[in-house]
Amino acid sequence: MRNPTRWLVACLVVLAATRAEAFPSFARKYGMSCTACHVAWPIFNQVGQSFWDNGYQFDLGKDDSINQGLSYIPFSIRTTPNYTFTRSTNQASDNGPVATQTGGISPPGVDILTGGTIAKDLSFLVVLTGFSPSDGQALVESAWARVSNLGGSSWLNFKAGKFELDLPASAHRDVSLAGVGYAVYGAHPAGSLVGFDMSENQLGLELSGHDARSSTRYSLAVVNANGDPGSGNAWSSPLVYAHVQRSFELDNRVLPWVRVGALGAVGWLPTSFATNGTNADGSPASVPGTGRDHKSYQRVGGELSWMLGYPATPALFTAAFMYGREEAGLAGTDPATATDLSGQSNSFTGGFLELDWVPFAEVSYNSTPWLFFARYDFVRYATGSGDYDGGTLGVRRYLAFGPKGAMAIHAELHADKTRGAGAPDPNTNIAKDVESQSFLVGLDFDF
Amino acid sequence: MTWTRTVAVALSAAWALFHSAVALATPADPEAARRGAHAFGRYCVSCHGVQGDGRGPSADWIDPRPRILTSGTFKFRSTASGELPTDDDLFRTISNGLHHTNMPHWDAITAMERHDLVQYVKTLSPRFASEPQGKPIVIPAAPKFTPALVAKGKEVYGKMGCANCHGDTGKGDGSSWSTLRDDWGYPIVPRDFTSGPLKVGDAPEDLYRAFMTGLNGSPMPSFAESITPDESWALVAYVRSLRVE
Repeated sequence: MRNPTRWLVACLVVLAATRAEAFPSFARKYGMSCTACHVAWPIFNQVGQSFWDNGYQFDLGKDDSINQGLSYIPFSIRTTPNYTFTRSTNQASDNGPVATQTGGISPPGVDILTGGTIAKDLSFLVVLTGFSPSDGQALVESAWARVSNLGGSSWLNFKAGKFELDLPASAHRDVSLAGVGYAVYGAHPAGSLVGFDMSENQLGLELSGHDARSSTRYSLAVVNANGDPGSGNAWSSPLVYAHVQRSFELDNRVLPWVRVGALGAVGWLPTSFATNGTNADGSPASVPGTGRDHKSYQRVGGELSWMLGYPATPALFTAAFMYGREEAGLAGTDPATATDLSGQSNSFTGGFLELDWVPFAEVSYNSTPWLFFARYDFVRYATGSGDYDGGTLGVRRYLAFGPKGAMAIHAELHADKTRGAGAPDPNTNIAKDVESQSFLVGLDFDF
Repeated sequence: MTWTRTVAVALSAAWALFHSAVALATPADPEAARRGAHAFGRYCVSCHGVQGDGRGPSADWIDPRPRILTSGTFKFRSTASGELPTDDDLFRTISNGLHHTNMPHWDAITAMERHDLVQYVKTLSPRFASEPQGKPIVIPAAPKFTPALVAKGKEVYGKMGCANCHGDTGKGDGSSWSTLRDDWGYPIVPRDFTSGPLKVGDAPEDLYRAFMTGLNGSPMPSFAESITPDESWALVAYVRSLRVE
């Protein structure tokens, strides 16, 4: 990308518009506060996780929409108007690297969500997102149908459509609104041809299961990896993803709850295609569906979550560490150094540590009005540019958090540094590092 | 004995009884209740209200209405009619939820939170500070549910007038169904025995317990003084035989 600023802004807008899954219509359906299912909206607690794992069901005879009063309409809407100021160093200009500063009210996208059950063990979710005044575009972020409890077993649930992979921390229930967290999910070595970003929703199938309390749970998915070109195989851009989690209750008031987990993914990307004419830039135009000479890429990782303090009002820590590897032939040229990396494999390590702290105020209809959060992200590549460090600090003040909807004032500071992502140094012609800082303050409205 | 002396003796006896009850009371553990307030604020207030008076913001649009915790009157207990529930009773209701109501099963939250919630709920009603909690009734082993036992249960069903509320076929459409009110004057619908599990559970013991303890605060009385354990089990067998789905 020749203009990193444009790239950054585009990413911010797209990512900010694709954080959707907080669902007040469920609160209205069951008469429960958002806090019943969320440590702090939108982060799940164990009740929310269990409800999600069970296909949007509590299984007490009140799940069927037809049993609900007229006040229940299975639609929710979310918008997050905010002011964002961003400063980035070493952006390309005719006069050499410059720092840029942008600020203003970001185009507030809108998420429209509908989901729930249509009958026992039959559930669905459809999320339309976008509608930003900047482009008027909308996309189907999620669209899946699910059959739960196959054969009467909670260990067998089948989902098909476009859905989020089961991640250590959901990128779609990310508390950050800046859209720059969980960098490791979308990490790729310099010049990589792989487009897979595990934080993006994927098209495919998922088999999942859990025990009665969702203490032990798994997910196994086969998907068309997003961003990858089609191949001539039965699966267009095949990727297999697996994730397991196990949580433990400790009879301890300081450390009452711990969860461990592991994930792995392997995908295959075609590296050569039949061609037909040329693209606008003169390169050969690939014919979709003719990909061959597949190369593989992998991700493996582990996670640890724990609560400090009382579980109902915890300091929730989530840490994840991942290793990624991409086979030789899956990279082009490192844009930072113009080095040809196509003949070598590459790898990276990365992860994040997040803290979400929900102090208790008093027994009221807004017992937990504050959320303080902090996150550190990092990615390190074995070869080439792109090493990343980022930190986020934020606070949310919930103005409404009851069984009808939610609204919060949100403020967030973010700073990061990406090695070799900026304009080239005029003297060495090596790309400079980019340091960015952003400040966001806005309203998170969810009805 | 003069009337004044009689009154004095009676007052003394009442005073002694009151104090003995208070002495036997098992009020909430304050430390656990303090912690439980956190969980109550997070999970419970939208229905049960901040004061536990059953007047949370959701209360008016859910059916049946949430329990008025300040009353100390609980339907689902293992204790005799009119008595306070045990801590285990409250823990069981919180953990398992109640079918066909908006009370979900909270077993996903930690056992620590659920135990603390029990203690917090006990602080909401003065009864727990002044009365002893009841003792669980003894539930004898269930007999084999034979056709003969079902037939005997049908006789008990008729003898106890169950059909007045629950109907001849158990559909909850007895002649008085539309007139029933709970202790707070809200309409209450008799259970339809032909479909789905009971609110409190689906085990035979759950039915037996309901028959022998009654459901405090509702028109459902206890049969403990009216039928024998054998008859109660027969009634369980008959009611379970009414299930058609």
